[in-house]
Amino acid sequence: MSIDWMTVGAQIANFLVLVWLLKRFLYRPILDGIDAREAEITQRMTEAVDAKDGAEAITEEYHEKLQKLHVSQAEMSETIRKSAEDQRDTLLAEARNQMESERAGWQAHMDDEAHKYTARLQLAGADALLSLTRKALNDLADETLEDRIARNLARQLKPMAADLNAAAGDGALAIVVSHSALAQSVQDDLVAELEIMFPQVAVTFEVDEAQSPGIMLRIGGAQLAWTVDSYIDGLAASVDDRLGNGPRV
Amino acid sequence: MNLTPDNTVMFTLWGLPINATIFYTWFVMILLTGASMLITRNLRPDVPPNRWRTTLEVIVKGIQSQIAEIAPGPSRHLLYFAGTLFLFVAVSNLLLVVPGFEPPTSSLSTTTALAISVLIAVPLFGVSSRGLGGYLKTYLEPSFIMLPFNIISEFSRGISLAIRLYGNIMSGAVIAAILLTVAPFFFPVVMDVLGLLTGMIQAYIFAILATVYISSATAPPSQPEKDIL
Repeated sequence: MSIDWMTVGAQIANFLVLVWLLKRFLYRPILDGIDAREAEITQRMTEAVDAKDGAEAITEEYHEKLQKLHVSQAEMSETIRKSAEDQRDTLLAEARNQMESERAGWQAHMDDEAHKYTARLQLAGADALLSLTRKALNDLADETLEDRIARNLARQLKPMAADLNAAAGDGALAIVVSHSALAQSVQDDLVAELEIMFPQVAVTFEVDEAQSPGIMLRIGGAQLAWTVDSYIDGLAASVDDRLGNGPRV
Repeated sequence: MNLTPDNTVMFTLWGLPINATIFYTWFVMILLTGASMLITRNLRPDVPPNRWRTTLEVIVKGIQSQIAEIAPGPSRHLLYFAGTLFLFVAVSNLLLVVPGFEPPTSSLSTTTALAISVLIAVPLFGVSSRGLGGYLKTYLEPSFIMLPFNIISEFSRGISLAIRLYGNIMSGAVIAAILLTVAPFFFPVVMDVLGLLTGMIQAYIFAILATVYISSATAPPSQPEKDIL
């Protein structure tokens, strides 16, 4: 065991050189690289924290907007619901009114049709009654309907004499209007009867084919009708009364 | 049988004999420097670290963390010095398994050189840390009576460092050589494996002791010295 001091000196020099070499090529590059990487990691962490904060802020803002949107959506839904209900009520009212109007129109049309039908029925009935009466009178009594009506009118005038005088006033002319010309004997009977009740009144006879079969008497302001139409009207009124004023269909 | 490679002259350079200790020291130096240069030549922030660079980072950070457990504060100069001590001793001892290689650490001259380096480094680090007065004052602590003992202690540290490392490595190499002569097939392998373990432990101990000595010299006055191994 001996020490070679030359070798010792050389080894000290070698060691110092090795320290410098490793410092130059090992420690400094490695530590600088680690420091740079740590700085980069720190920077990235800072950026990540900033990004996370930003993302959280955006998320918070998004949640607030979402909350507002939900509230707005609820309000909008409520508004739309109310609007829809109002519109539905309006449409229902319009439909109801329109239906009521149509129903009223339909009812009016039905009533009109009923009236028309009744009128046609009356006319048909009157025609049938008239034809049958004419035929029966003609076949059985050899007499016309108008003649028979006139004779009957003559008999009916007596109970109404006072009323007719009051209604006739100062009338000087009595006009007897018939659907067809009356027989002379009938005219004479009628004149004789009228002269008894109205001595100062002149009697004239007129024919009006547009008039319903029968006799119409006009004295001054008074008018007395004894026609098939008036008879039918009276008959219809009687039927209505019996039906309790119901529709005449 | 040569107990030290100092006696083996490899070649002569400009009239100076280059013995095996210096030759293999240069070999270790070239190996360490070359490997470092190769691995760190493309070391840029934009280049991702490869496995070799990561290995070096693990080694350097490991040394740095060991120093940080002992030294009062982070010091790159201490890392350069103690880290180089560890790497040189460790690589020299690990190369014991290479046939024909004689570890420079099995030479008392090398271990003496390293011990002298530590012996010089301790006051240098102490003076740079505490100042000349502050460092010299440590020799008078806890009282001036302790001055000769402190001086003796300082030198005995270096001597113990040198002898410990030399004895372990040289004895390992010598025992392996003897066993290779006696029983050449099995025991030398076992002893070499044991030598690797011993070599690594000795490298660790040498570097740690150097760090402890230096850190005790650079520690602030209020801080008590850390216990040595």
